[in-house]
Formats: sequence, structure tokens, C-alpha cells
Amino acid sequence: MRIELCSYSGYKIYPGHGRRLVKADGRTFNFLSHKCERSHMMKRNPRNINWTVLYRRKHKKGQTEEVTKKKTRRTQKFQRAITGATLNDILAKRNQKPEVRKAQREQAIRAYKEKVKVKEAQKKATKPAPVKQAKQPKTAKQPMAKAPRVGGKR
Amino acid sequence: MALTIKSVNMMMPVVQRFGPACCFSTSQTLQEIRLLARMRIVDNSAIGKAAAEIGKPPRVIHVYNDKRVGFLGDKVLVTVKGEMKRAYIVGLRQKQKPNVPRMDTNNIVLVDDNGNPLGNRITVPIPSALRRKGGDITKILSLATKFV
Repeated sequence: MRIELCSYSGYKIYPGHGRRLVKADGRTFNFLSHKCERSHMMKRNPRNINWTVLYRRKHKKGQTEEVTKKKTRRTQKFQRAITGATLNDILAKRNQKPEVRKAQREQAIRAYKEKVKVKEAQKKATKPAPVKQAKQPKTAKQPMAKAPRVGGKR
Repeated sequence: MALTIKSVNMMMPVVQRFGPACCFSTSQTLQEIRLLARMRIVDNSAIGKAAAEIGKPPRVIHVYNDKRVGFLGDKVLVTVKGEMKRAYIVGLRQKQKPNVPRMDTNNIVLVDDNGNPLGNRITVPIPSALRRKGGDITKILSLATKFV
């Protein structure tokens, strides 16, 4: 025998209990008791009747033990290429090993230092040359300037 | 004289009136299938549909029973659209025995003189308590789509 559920209260109807009603349109209703049947006939909505299962479900009574699944919104991290670097480049850079990175850094430092050295060397090379050149023409010019004035303008 | 609440009530009784205005009691309606009871034809026979459209329900003129009160599975004689037809009772508004469902309408299925149903199909739920009856009822149950 099947244990039915009361169409009104939601309680279990064991065999031998309750009544069944078939309405004119063919819908079947199982009622546990006269109380349920009369409430249905009076067109009382079971969702407003405190002792029915439908009411308890609607107002979430007695469900504290059940764990409700919380939906947490997580922002997804998304790899994307930028105008400066493609996705592969970014990944390559990120996945570089630390030794490689260190070597690169050292290389960069060396290169810079060399550059600086070269610059300084260049500066040294160019700095005294203009200084010497400036002096020589000065000394050369002075005696030469005096000489032509003897017979000059006056 | 000290008047207590009790004695006040007794001196001035309040008359309350419930129930019918008449002073006799009435029993609940029995909803039996007797002479001239109005029924509802639930098969898809042509006569049944026509009668439903007109709005003149078939009426019982004879119950093939000792007591002349029709119960579930009884044969009855019915007038439909001026014709006399035999029918079987297939659902009752009356309060039934336990484990037998009650319907909102008194349902019948039309049958010819040989006992063959006039319609092809019955869409309304039929009580499974009719399975035990046998005879012409089994022909009717073969048309049924839904059992209750």
C-alpha cells in the first residue's frame, strides 16, 4: 500500500486513514482528516494556515539544520595581452626562473656600467682636447695681434 | 441587594439564535441516486455530448436494484434527449465506504441493450473499486484512462 500525502496539510496518510475526493475536472485530492477537507472546501489557502507543511515551507520554519548553499561571487583572474606585449611574452616573463632573472639583471648592470665607462672615457677624451685647443690659439694670437699694429691705422 | 455578576447574568439572559429560522432540524442531504436524479455522462458518446451542450442532464428513471437506490457499479435506466438508455454508475457524490473516492458529480457511462458502451473513451477518473464488480463493468473499465 502506498503512503499518500495530504493535498492540504502535507502530512502522510497511512492506509485506512483519510478520504479521497475527485473534482469535476478530474483533479484528485487526498485529505488526511475532516479538518483538512473542510479547510479545502472553505477555500482556505494552506499557505496561510500555520500548521500545514506548505506554510512552514513558505515561511522557512524549522530549517536551520539544513545548510543553505551560499553563492559567493568570485572575480575570475583572466590573462590578457596588452598592446606592448603579447600573452606569450607575458607568460614567458612570468615563468622565468630566478637564476635566469638574476643573470639578466647582472647583464643589464654590466652593460650599464660599460656604457657609463664609455661615456666617461669619451668625456675625458673630449674635455682636455677642447681645453688645449683653446689655449693654443690664444697664445698664438697675441703676438700676432701686436705685430700688425705698428704700421697700422692711426 | 448586592448584585453579583452571576446573578446579573441570570436576571438578563441573552438570547442567541443560530441555525435555520425554522424550528425543526434537518438532516444532511444524502445525495442518493433515486428516481429523477440528474447525472453526468462521462464517456465521449454523441448523445452525451449533445445533452451536455443543451444543458439538459440525463435523469434516472429506474434503478436495477432491490432498494431502487443506486450505488457504485449499479445499472440504471436514464432518459437522455428524449431517449431511454441504460447506463452504469461510475462515480457518486455520496460519502462512500473507506478507500472508495468520492466525486463532485454523479457520473454515468451509457451502455446499449447488449451491454456494450456507446462511447470510446472515459477521461474522468474511475474508482478502482469497480474492478471487482465484473460483468459489463469490465467493458467500461477497458475504456477508462485514469483510475483513482
